[in-house]
Amino acid sequence: MTADRRPEQDPRHPDEHFEPYELDASIPWPLLGISIALGVWGAATLFDTRRHEERAQVERVEDTQLATGQAVEPGHALFEASCATCHQPDGLGIRGAVPPLAGSPFVRNGPELVANIMLRGIDGPIRVNDSLYDGHMPSFASVFTDVEVAELASYVTSRWGESNRALEAAEVAELRGRVADLGSFRGGAGVAEDTGFALDEQPTFASGTSQPVSPEISALIFEGRGGQWSCASCHGDLGQGRENTPRLAGLPTDYIVKQLGDFAAGRRINESMAVVVAELSNEEKRALGVYYAGLRVPSNARPDLGGDLERGEQLAREGDWSLTVPSCFSCHGPSGFGVATEFPPLAAQHAPYTASQLAAWAGGQRTNSSLDLMEHISSALSAADRRAVADYLASLPPVPAGSGDMLAEQGEGQ
Amino acid sequence: MNNYLPLSIISLGILAFATLMLVIAPGIEMARPEPPAGLQPYTVEEQRGRDAYVSMGCLYCHSQQPRAPEQAPDGERGWGRPSVSADYFYDSPHQLGTMRTGPDLLNVGARLPSESWHLTHLYQPRAIFEWSIMPAYPFLFEVKAEAEEGDVVVALPPEFAPAEGVVVASQEALDLTAYLLSLDRTYPAPQDGIRDDGYRPRGDAE
Repeated sequence: MTADRRPEQDPRHPDEHFEPYELDASIPWPLLGISIALGVWGAATLFDTRRHEERAQVERVEDTQLATGQAVEPGHALFEASCATCHQPDGLGIRGAVPPLAGSPFVRNGPELVANIMLRGIDGPIRVNDSLYDGHMPSFASVFTDVEVAELASYVTSRWGESNRALEAAEVAELRGRVADLGSFRGGAGVAEDTGFALDEQPTFASGTSQPVSPEISALIFEGRGGQWSCASCHGDLGQGRENTPRLAGLPTDYIVKQLGDFAAGRRINESMAVVVAELSNEEKRALGVYYAGLRVPSNARPDLGGDLERGEQLAREGDWSLTVPSCFSCHGPSGFGVATEFPPLAAQHAPYTASQLAAWAGGQRTNSSLDLMEHISSALSAADRRAVADYLASLPPVPAGSGDMLAEQGEGQ
Repeated sequence: MNNYLPLSIISLGILAFATLMLVIAPGIEMARPEPPAGLQPYTVEEQRGRDAYVSMGCLYCHSQQPRAPEQAPDGERGWGRPSVSADYFYDSPHQLGTMRTGPDLLNVGARLPSESWHLTHLYQPRAIFEWSIMPAYPFLFEVKAEAEEGDVVVALPPEFAPAEGVVVASQEALDLTAYLLSLDRTYPAPQDGIRDDGYRPRGDAE
């Protein structure tokens, strides 16, 4: 038996072995009540202020629109996003380059004609009032839904035309079916002829592709020669390209000639192209450039790099000055349809090609521009930004457009 | 330890749960997919080419599985979108591969659709890329004094062409090229396709 070693408690001292303990007591009800009340009050406040915030936001937007005189009509936002880059927010166009909508006989004829032009695009010269414009209106058939076309056409004609008729989506759907395979209008004369509207006097259309290709050049394009593969075997029979093989249709002749020369001289590095251009004469390079510049093919490019299209649109239209990156469109033209030789069209180019070229500019593998602009811009962009902008550009309609059945014949319907 | 009933129930429950999570659920998720609308079965010629691809061990240097953009810039390289399981519907044995000594080939038919390019490249890769370390496959070709009716002549730069005669592709080279050209999974991925999502959180689709 073990004796209790603890010394006898001296009653004069406090108990040193006492363990504190707590009696079982519930939380007093006033405390519970106050916490619940506080919780309810907090939740109610959150809910209440959120509603206020939403209200305030709506009011702010309305105030801004009042202040800037913007209409809140349907179609306005779409117009700003897709049309105003060329036709300008005030619809006055760009003198000598982009025809005005305000006072235009085309717009005066009502929303149906406007919708028709949006769906088909115009390729070739048109006359608006006393000025001639020889450009390319892209086809937006693949870009806008029937509802969007209807809204835009109604918006444009009510703002700059004399019609107040709102076009219905069903009418656009019917129109879309009718014009699907017709391709672009052939100049203003083509518009007048196809639709029967009175459009003053329109210039006649002279096709850029009417020039016949010589048999030698045709053999080069479709069959190849000696140690060279044919152009079409990689770039497609219509110059439409695929993945990182670029679309050539509609690129300017001088741009193509310069790139072919750079491949031959080693200023631009691409092993397969170097083999192909090695034995091309200058005349042949030019003939190929003329051929591809004159091709009209609808887009088969898709935004398939998983890039952020909103970010891409921001970069293309506004740039990002926190990165000192100007917008693509500031040099490559509104909608990316290209400006002169130095700024090739970007719209409808394949996303993997655009992204790989941006990466090549950034990494120093491509250096063949005399302007040294793309090196800085590309290195300032992150890989995600390059994917985003390449995807956005691939989603744009090509300028000039082509007819819808061309790619279907190639088994590459969109 | 004298109450066996709860113990057995709990252990059986754990086993059932593990079977559900590790066997049944993945089984349902990876059930044999339908072939995508854009994918065609291999033709006889392409299948012969595929057999040549397998037998020559192309797999040891070329993968057939483009990665998600979060993992590698495969999309920018033109190698195509991240593949999904349904893309391999007709592939047996699959040739996914892990080594990327050479480029990924799952979409080579889309990015290099030129038959004559492939024939030149198979005959002598260095005729195009002087830095290429891919072996040449001259045994798939024949040197003939003159091309006969129906022969496919290989386009070669003068320094790689034989001193006399022309290089003609054998049936095996044509089959292999047909298989390479058939590698085209650029159709949109099926919505329910199981794919490599990289590090992107689920639900954050493009």
